[in-house]
Parts: sequence; C-alpha cells; structure tokens
Amino acid sequence: MGEFKVHRVRFFDYMPSGIRCMAFNRKADRLALARLNGSVEIFNFSNNYFQEKVIPGSDSRSIEAICWVGCDRLFTAGLNGEVVEYDLERLCPKYTLDAFGGPIWTAACNSAETHFAFGCEDGSVKLFEILPDKIQFERNLDRQKGRILSLSWHKSGTLIAAGSLDVIRVFDVKSGHSVQRILVDRGPAGTRNKDCVVWNVAFLSDYTIVSGDSAGKVQLWDANKGTLIKTHLVSKWDVLSLSVSENEDSIVAGTSEGTVIQFQLLSPTIGDAETQWIRTRTFKHHTHDVRAVTETKTSVVSGGLDTQLVICPLMDKVEVKSSESVLRKVIFPHRSLVSCAKKPSLLLFQFPDQLELWRLGGTDTVGKPGESLPVTRKPEKLLQLKRKGDDHICCSTISECGHWIAYSTVSSIRLYQIQCDNNNISISKVSKLPKVLRSAHQLQFSADSSKLFVASEQATIHVISLSRSECKHVHTFKPKSGSSAPVHLLAASADGQWLTSANRHCEINVYNLKKLKHHCMVPVYNSLPSAMAIHPETNNLLMAHADQQVFEFSIVDKQYTDWSRKLQKEGLHRCRSKWHTPITHITFNPSAPSQVMLHDTHMFCIIDQSLPLVDLKAQFYSRLTPKDMSETDRPSKNNAFKMCKKYQPLLHVNLLEDDWLVVVERPLIDIHSQLPAPVRQKKFGT
Amino acid sequence: MATKQRGGVDVRRKKKRNIDVKAIVDLGADYSDDDDDDDAPEEVTFEKAKADAVRSMRNALDTIKRDKELLKEKRRKRQELFQQQKKRKLLSEDTLEEIELAYTKKGKTLDSEEQEKEESEEDEESEDEEEVVNARLKESYKAVRLKDQIDANARQESASDFIKSRLYGPGTNRTTTNHMLSLKNKTGMNKTAAVQFVDKKWGSEKKGEAEKFKKRWINNQNMVAK
Repeated sequence: MGEFKVHRVRFFDYMPSGIRCMAFNRKADRLALARLNGSVEIFNFSNNYFQEKVIPGSDSRSIEAICWVGCDRLFTAGLNGEVVEYDLERLCPKYTLDAFGGPIWTAACNSAETHFAFGCEDGSVKLFEILPDKIQFERNLDRQKGRILSLSWHKSGTLIAAGSLDVIRVFDVKSGHSVQRILVDRGPAGTRNKDCVVWNVAFLSDYTIVSGDSAGKVQLWDANKGTLIKTHLVSKWDVLSLSVSENEDSIVAGTSEGTVIQFQLLSPTIGDAETQWIRTRTFKHHTHDVRAVTETKTSVVSGGLDTQLVICPLMDKVEVKSSESVLRKVIFPHRSLVSCAKKPSLLLFQFPDQLELWRLGGTDTVGKPGESLPVTRKPEKLLQLKRKGDDHICCSTISECGHWIAYSTVSSIRLYQIQCDNNNISISKVSKLPKVLRSAHQLQFSADSSKLFVASEQATIHVISLSRSECKHVHTFKPKSGSSAPVHLLAASADGQWLTSANRHCEINVYNLKKLKHHCMVPVYNSLPSAMAIHPETNNLLMAHADQQVFEFSIVDKQYTDWSRKLQKEGLHRCRSKWHTPITHITFNPSAPSQVMLHDTHMFCIIDQSLPLVDLKAQFYSRLTPKDMSETDRPSKNNAFKMCKKYQPLLHVNLLEDDWLVVVERPLIDIHSQLPAPVRQKKFGT
Repeated sequence: MATKQRGGVDVRRKKKRNIDVKAIVDLGADYSDDDDDDDAPEEVTFEKAKADAVRSMRNALDTIKRDKELLKEKRRKRQELFQQQKKRKLLSEDTLEEIELAYTKKGKTLDSEEQEKEESEEDEESEDEEEVVNARLKESYKAVRLKDQIDANARQESASDFIKSRLYGPGTNRTTTNHMLSLKNKTGMNKTAAVQFVDKKWGSEKKGEAEKFKKRWINNQNMVAK
C-alpha cells in the first residue's frame, strides 16, 4: 500500500490578490476581509479560523473600506463612489448606492450603529442613516478643501475626526462645522516637500486622536486643544493601517515595510497611576506593505500586499494553550480550485477571470521508487475559457468523462460541451439552460455525467439532466430544516443514487436521487465541514471538518459506522493535531477500495480502513524502499495511516487509475516573484 | 491751344466735354511739355472740380450699395439652403400625418375603453405624448448621460493615480522583487542559488542577453584566434 507514480503539476499559475482592508465583528467572532480584486472573504475565528464565505469580486467594483453593522450586515465602499451592502446568505451584493461625492476613501460606523460616515474625494463627509433594510443619505458635513482619507467617530457619537492631506479636522456632528483644525507636520528633512497624508485616524474616548501618516509617524493629539501630545517615529515609510483594541489599551499600526507595531497604555514605572502610550512589540511577518490590521481579544490580525493573512497571538492575553496560541498564515483558499476528470486525465483550473483546461503529460519509462522520470509527452493546455461580464467566477467543475464543463458567477451559469479528438478540441456552449438556474454556489456533475447538480440560493439544489440536444430541469431539492445558509459542498455517489450537500450552518443533508426526495440528515457537528465524499462501493459518506475531525456515516443505515466510532475513540496519530490548514479534498483509490486519501495544504495522507488504526504514540517510520526491505525488517504493526509531506504547498491531490497520483503544487516562491514592488531596505553586510 | 475754349460751352455737355477736353488737354499737355516748360498750369474751374468730387462720391456709394446687395443675396441664398436641408432631414409631411393619425386613433380608443370621464384636451394631449415617448424608447434601452459617466471614470482614475503615486511614485524608495529575494537569500540560514537560476521563468530577458553576449564573445575569440 502506498506506492504510486506521481504527476507533479506546477503549471497552475494561481495568484492570490492582496488584502486591502478588514473588519472584525466581535459579537459574531468573524473577520471580513476585502481584497484588491473586489472579493470579500469571511473567516469564522471560533471555527478554527475557517474561511467560511467567499463573495467573488467584480471588475467594476473597488473596495477601500469595509464595515460590519450589527451581527450580520456587511457594507463596503470604494473608489467607484458606491456603497455596497452584501447579502451574506446569497453571497452577492444586495444593493449598491451611489454617494455622489466622487470616489469614497473611507467609511466608519458610530458606536451606537445608527449612522455611517463616508469620507469622499471631493472633501465632504457624508452622513447616512442606517435603516433596517437599507441606508439613506442624511446630510453632508461642512465640505473641506482636500480629500478625506480617514475617519473616526468618537465613542459618544458627537465628534468625528477626519484625516486629510497635512491636516486633521474634528467635526461636530450636530452642526456639521469643523471645530478643530490640527496641522500635521511633514516629518524629517527628507520628506518636507511632499504633503503628509494622514492615512489613518482613531478617536479614543479620552479625546485623544491617534494618527498614522505617510512620514512614518504615529502621533497622539489632544482633540480639545488641538495640540500634539507625543510623536513616535516608527518607520521611514508610510504607516498604512491603524487599529485600536476594544478596551482602548492597545494600538496596532502596520507600515509599508511589513512590520506591525503595537503600542500599549502602560505606566512607565511600576505602581505609578499615570499611564502613557509606550511602544511595546514589533512583528515582522510580512514582506510587503501591511494595509490592514485589526486586533481581537487574543491576537493581532494583519494582512497586506503579500496576500497572506497572518494571525499572531499575543502571548500575554492567551490563557490556555490551544489552537489560539499558534501563529497562523492563511495563504491559500480553504476550498479546491482544481477539478479533475479522471478517465481522460484532464485538469480544470479555476481563475477569477477564466478557466483553463489542461491534459496531463505522460512518460513511457519505468523507474525505481524515489526517482523522477523524464516527461515524454508534455502537458498541454487544451482550452482557455474567458468569462463574460464583470463578475468573477465563483465555482466551476468538469464531468468525470471530460465532456462537460460548467461554471458560475453571481449573475449567470454557463454550461459547455467539449469534444476532444486526439489533437482537435471543440467547445460548444449549451445555450438554453432552464430558467430556474440563475447563479450557483456549488456545481457538481454526477458520476455518469448524465446529471448536473446546481446548489443555488436558499440552499436549494436543482437537478438538471444533460443530453446532447437539451438540458431539462428534473427536480429541486430543499433542505428539511428550512435553513437558507449557502451550500458549499456537494457530493454524488458513484452509482447515482445518493446526493449529499453541506451548508454553512454545519448541516449535511442526504437526498435520494432515485426517489427524488430527502433521505436523512447527518447529526449536526459544531464545526463546518470542509470536505466530503461518498465511497464508491459501500456508499458511506466520509466527512472532514474544519477542526480536523474525520467522520464516516453510513447512508443506508442512517448512522455513524463502527469504523468512525473507533476512529473517534482512538484518534489518528498525534501528528494530525499539529495541522492548521483544513482538509480540502477526500478521494478514494480506484484500485484499492478500502483506501481513503485526504489532503490539506501541507500533506496528503492515506488511511486504509481495513487495517488496524495506529497507536497514538507510535513511532512513524519512513518507507523509502519498501519492496527492498525483507519481511522481518518491516515494522511489525501494519498501520492504517500513512502520510507524505514531500509535496508542499498542495492545491489538489487526486488518484487516477493504474496507481497514478496527481499532485498540484503552487510553490510560494512563484507567488512571491509576482508580487508588486517592496520597499528598499538596506541591510548591513549585503 | 486754340481748342481751349471755356466760355460758352453748354453745361449739359460739360462733363463729357470736359473729359474729352481733359483728355485732349492731357494729350496736349504731353505734347506741350516737349515744347514749353513754362506754360501756365491748366485752369480747373470750381464746377469741374465739384462735379469730379460728386462723381467720385457717387461711385463710392454705388459700390457700397452693390456690395451690400451682394452680401444680402448671399445670406438669403444660404438661409434658403439651410431650410432645404432641414426639410430634407425631417420626415416628409405625409408620414408625419400618418403617424399623427395613428396616435390620435390610439388615444381615442383608450378613451372609449375607459369610463367616459370628462378629461380636458390638455390631459389627452399629455397622454398621447407619454405614449409616444414610451413607444419610442424600447424596454431594453435606458437613457444615460455620457458626460456623467465619463466624469465618474475620470475621478476614479485620478483617485487611483493618487494612491499609486503615493505608494509607488517617485520618492517612495521602492525596489524590485529580485532585490528583496536576494536579500532574503543572503541573510537567511541556508544560502541557496538566486531565484533566476532556480525558477526557469524568472529573468528571461537577462538570460537572453547573457546568451547573446556569450555568442558574441565566442565569435570574438574565434576571430582573434584566426
């Protein structure tokens, strides 16, 4: 067990987009992240930092500020002058509102969550009233000369601090007039001729304004008198992001160099009552500009142009050694962007603006374990399919036989039929799709490629029968519990009888395709399912959750299997607990039906269900040349669990026939080489 | 000299006579210049001079009048031309009548279908106008002012230019990714090869230049050797 020939694929040019801004919702413990390509991602921090929802971006949308209102309303504003509210159940924009002030640079909500303030390019601060189902323009504050780049409300909601070029103004909300004008000095000698841009302001409840500007200073001002209290020169480059903790005892600033600096309100001498803002920690987890920082109770979350989301724990706040106390870097999305058609060896890569279809190469030579074989047939790119319209692609899939491709954006679904002779490939679009299909959260073809399952809004699943001439809508499944959370996983059984779907409320429903009705629901487990697959022979459903737990549920018997109960009791090897990235794919070995393969970003492992589970503390042996080792030398216990960490970082692993394995990697150096220009840093000795 | 006779000449024929006389006089003057230089200057009577002046003024007035008339003609012609062009642009009167008839008929049928309310003529007219407008704009089109859209795009462009120039513009001290990666390499624990040797897609231009240089150098060496 465990001997494969590997297709090592590195031609998937996946390039993530830089992080622009983020907002943390303390009540719901969720982080909303906006990227430069207009997409919004929501991470559930209590669920092992799982990427719960992804709202795909759009070419016409640009995001400069993001804000939560209440528990479940999300607003963004951008340079196209529009304010967008998102529907988090349907994962698309609910409506857009033009603020009529030109490009919007910043948005802030007051602590009572009744009003929104937007800072615009024309120098005006616009106040919008938040109503239960929309927002409405209320009035403008006094218009100023320069563009307003940052805003902050005072806790009482009566004053707003606005940062502009070279100046910070304090507005009185009731009258709309500017009550205080603070001139920001331009900084050390080298930067005197350029305006000082105040990138961020924060208004503390003791009437102190904290500002971060382009000269690299974090300054504290007295808002009542308009005077400077303290200057901290933090870097030679801009301070691009600033965040204040909830109880106002810690400020975090992110710079262009990639450093994140923390200031804490401490007393310089122990026992002294007077406190000051003192610079305490410096983190350097980023290589490029840090454009968004925020602080949760136990960690500092930062993101920037190097596309990584870094969650760094603050050790003095962490009480229990749990998953919270680990530095996490989220680089790759928590779902699979690669689909594989096993029989014709085709791979479908999903980019935000196009789909690419590749055929795997091949080799005719045979070699020994550990050798890399020369490629005789090169992998070839068969098709590049560009999307129509502005919206980015949110999901895509290819059928097992390789003749059908489907993809969906927030506004449309498209289905294509592919004919592939040896060298010629022809593609034709299926034009008349049933009217019930408008957009999909997940797409899946059945195992015999005769049906397409479309998971639409309100957790409904449409079954479409495919044929060369036309596509007919056969049935619509609705979840029994009536929840409208979006479906993010679909799995179909190999015999075409069962279909399972997992939605964002951690519910997994099983539908009977032959009788076209709901069969049962898997008992709800607190953690979100991250991968799901149905065994081709036993029809058992294997589920992997965001907290790394794996369960097996028998669909026919409507209960967990014995193997699953044993696994829960004994647990897999202790190496498993160190993994931080969720399992994104489960598949089965066609030649050995009892072998299950799972993978996450850093490893893939094979669990053999017929062999006994390994002891938690047993030593792992590396099996380099198993065939050469004699019977006596092999470890006496046959483990069920085998792991390989050779190929990292993984985007997709799949098992083809004849003991071939496809491994799609994305080396980090390839991503780093395509990032924008970093700042020039002089290091001693180089 | 004998022909210079002033008195007794008829006034009506004076002008012509005078012209003739003047011409002859001129001719005579030419001849006479050859003969005598100290002849007395010709006498030009007051009437003659006055007549000359009047004549010249009248000529001037005539030319002005003529010019004015010409201009007027031109303007009139141009106006007519424009009117003709406008007429050509608009639909012919027949089609206009037909359309009008069609819409009035429509309006009338609607009126008859509704309960007979006493609507003023103005209402009817406005209804017709609305229907006409609705019929003209089909459902899939929407009237949008291009000027507004272009303005919005321009403002968005200028905003993104501002941020690009502040982050990447002159004076921001940025360097290349290559430099950053090579710094990482030099300061790291394991010093490995530079990225351009590890990643095949990297630095393709530099590699091309290196190849060319190599070829040239080998060529030079061969030439020197010969």
